[in-house]
Amino acid sequence: MTERIKSLLDRTFDREQAKFRRDVDWKPLLARFVAEGTGDVVRARVGLEEMLREERPEFMDGERLAFLRTVRQIPDLHTDAEMDARRASGTAFGEKGVVFNLTADFGPTIRDGLGARLDEISARLGKCRAEGDAEGVEFLENAALSVRAVLDLAERYRKAAEARGFCEIAATLAHVPLKGARTFHEALQSLRILHYAMWCEGEYHCGLGRIDQYLYPYYKADLDAGRLTADGALEELEEFFIACNRDSDLYIGVQQGDNGQSVMLGGVTRDGAPAFNDLSRLCLKACGELKLVDPKINLRVDKSTPIEIYELGTELTAKGLGFPQYANDDVVIPALERWGYATEDARDYSVAACWEFLVPGCGMDINNIDAVSFVGALDASLRRLAPAEGVSFEDVKAEFKAEVQRRADALVGKYSHVEILPGPFVSVISTGCIEKARDISKGAKYNNFGIHGTGIAVAVDSLASVRELVFEKRLLTLAELVKLLDTDFAGRDDIRAAAKAAPKMGNADPRADEIAKWLIDFWGHAFDGRRNDRGGIFRPGTGSAMYYIWHTRDVPASADGRLSGEPFSANYAPSLDVPVKGPISVVRSFTEPNLGPVCNGGPLTIEIHDSAFAMPDGVEKVAHLVKFFIDRGGHQMQINTINRDTLLDAQKHPERHRHLIVRVWGWSGYFIELDKPYQDQIIKRVELAAS
Amino acid sequence: MFFKGCPLRCAWCHNPEGQSHEIETMVLQSGERVVCGRDWSVDALAEELLVNADIMAQSGGGVTFSGGEPLAQADFVSALAVRLKEKGVSVALETSGAASAADYRRVVSLMDFVYQDLKLLDPAAFSRWTGGSLAQVMENIAWLRGAGVPFVFRVPCIPGVNDSPQDRTAFNAFAAGAPIEFLPYNTAAPAKYSMLGRTFSLTAPPLP
Repeated sequence: MTERIKSLLDRTFDREQAKFRRDVDWKPLLARFVAEGTGDVVRARVGLEEMLREERPEFMDGERLAFLRTVRQIPDLHTDAEMDARRASGTAFGEKGVVFNLTADFGPTIRDGLGARLDEISARLGKCRAEGDAEGVEFLENAALSVRAVLDLAERYRKAAEARGFCEIAATLAHVPLKGARTFHEALQSLRILHYAMWCEGEYHCGLGRIDQYLYPYYKADLDAGRLTADGALEELEEFFIACNRDSDLYIGVQQGDNGQSVMLGGVTRDGAPAFNDLSRLCLKACGELKLVDPKINLRVDKSTPIEIYELGTELTAKGLGFPQYANDDVVIPALERWGYATEDARDYSVAACWEFLVPGCGMDINNIDAVSFVGALDASLRRLAPAEGVSFEDVKAEFKAEVQRRADALVGKYSHVEILPGPFVSVISTGCIEKARDISKGAKYNNFGIHGTGIAVAVDSLASVRELVFEKRLLTLAELVKLLDTDFAGRDDIRAAAKAAPKMGNADPRADEIAKWLIDFWGHAFDGRRNDRGGIFRPGTGSAMYYIWHTRDVPASADGRLSGEPFSANYAPSLDVPVKGPISVVRSFTEPNLGPVCNGGPLTIEIHDSAFAMPDGVEKVAHLVKFFIDRGGHQMQINTINRDTLLDAQKHPERHRHLIVRVWGWSGYFIELDKPYQDQIIKRVELAAS
Repeated sequence: MFFKGCPLRCAWCHNPEGQSHEIETMVLQSGERVVCGRDWSVDALAEELLVNADIMAQSGGGVTFSGGEPLAQADFVSALAVRLKEKGVSVALETSGAASAADYRRVVSLMDFVYQDLKLLDPAAFSRWTGGSLAQVMENIAWLRGAGVPFVFRVPCIPGVNDSPQDRTAFNAFAAGAPIEFLPYNTAAPAKYSMLGRTFSLTAPPLP
């Protein structure tokens, strides 16, 4: 790392950039929208214009890539009352209602420049006017104004850079983002501005996608022409990655750090050729040197990926970054194809904020629209069956399956009509919106909804426990069990101990794993034939998002011995406190099911004690563990390297652990910035020593 | 695989539950009781280990016999090693060398790799600190050097016992170019003694 980068890194981490920030009260703007009855598209455009007008060009000493946020707040475009009224009239929204959780198609606009998009808009506008397509005209006019607002700020930045003697920045901004990037440096500056502008438009969880693919031509051309060395490219990349952390405290998700700035590396090209290149390698190296939470690295692998690439990824794991998260092309690409994605698009997949598979530029999927609680479904099933006579374990399974299906169907109904608020600027940098003269919020090539499934391991373990305690050992009746669940097993420690001793997922025990296999098989087909009113499908997954905390509020204790209020495991992972034989048995258990049909995303999440990396062969061993998972047909995997004592100490002395990074549910964040329930859940996760 | 039972009684031993051949119970600070040791047949253990033959084949990994002193159960180790090797699993031995020449040679001959301990080079000190015979160990090491089985010397560096610069020079000279690793002392060693109802003290027994 160069001295310049080290200095930028330290000052960014210490939030020096915050000194440039100020508050803006956007209430008058919102009041004006309400008073004038302004339409959604105009609000989106005016919001971006006003936001960018309030922004002031500022620079950190020593930087070569400009743009940072100086206004803390993004304007609200609708009042709560307006949104509630729409909901009351039968319209559903995904989260806040705006475009979110997607990755724009940055490559073409970096290549052509925003000027080329303006030309296209102008040409298309003529056609729309001729055809009398009022909606198209409104979209294109506002899209053009949005682009001009971004270009206007870029020009103000250029002038300010010139005035303050930042000649290189001024020269770069004289070219991009208006025109196409000619160098790696210009490409990064252009990307920085496009990404920054999305956040200013109100989008959130804005992914970066396959940067090692769309930036590679600039990198290669610079190297070939002798304009850049690999070391120089590393420095450029590092500055860009630092920039991703500059404003990230303003990008608040459910928790701080949950900001969706994901990057996907490796995999195959749209033609199916291996895509891992020298730039992918540099990206991993840059992250390893910087040790920051953003961007969040994902790495695509398959059976043919050499172990050396896994080892490069594992070097980051060893540093405790919580990424890369691995995705298996052998499973994901065919899964997306089965769901109707064109082969070239399927090969081009990235992830949304966490792990939901998404095709950049042409996916307006809402990948996390809701979740089914398997633990809740099982609880309801047991209660329904408890009073009945002669119930068998097969009846329990059948009732559970029917209950999951009912809950799945209810979600299909709930989201039959979803509206997304427009984003004219993000539409301009997405595929096909100008050509169609429609905002991306009206639908892109793919408009699928993703449904998480939470508490898989708790539900499977509970079923295994019900079978053993109620139907095999006959220790108690179903009715008695249900009563005990309401009282946290009060007075029956023996039953709770028996429940804890019953088969569990993660031990390569067929008595639990066969139930998991069965559950995932029917969950993978719970939405077959169902469509939303955008023509999209519903994609089931094994992710939990934050529901592993939220859903525990709705259920009492469970039959696996978990007490009320105790969290589920996050995503696809052994239940907390389950003694497992080791990481290999966890991988065995969790690759028994056929994971293709549940490819909305949701990784096997395991914790490895940091001592696993104390020996020199630790990296090699963990790399082989990941490869073992991939070779056995796992879909996605993330690894936390943690030390329980360190986490406990960080709760007591947060000031000593400002750099401590943990993987939360699908993203890496700073431990001390998390709310306590999320901290506690991580501390409780099973630590598997990879020895 | 950790084999229970060892002919030596090294004062610094960090796995004291590996010394006795008997099954023992450790009582943790929490009061939880942990049974150390389990009887196995060669068949059952081979089956258990071969569950992971797939990942061992993928990673070039294998099974290391350690202890305790695995050579104290030379027949068992030999039979098990043969079974594993039949399935393509690589096998390694971690030994103090405190075994008869016959046991040492027949087991080492089956191995793909050997971790050979070097604790002390002075016969009297070796005997005082470990209760064993250095002559027997040295005879085995002399044979190992010419046996054609890849090996590494491993020195546990015990504070005040064998960790001086002079000791290090002597160990390096003894290795005579063969690979040698110096392992830091495991400072957690004392904890297990109280769990077994024993006391730990890193002192040599008094001279006779």
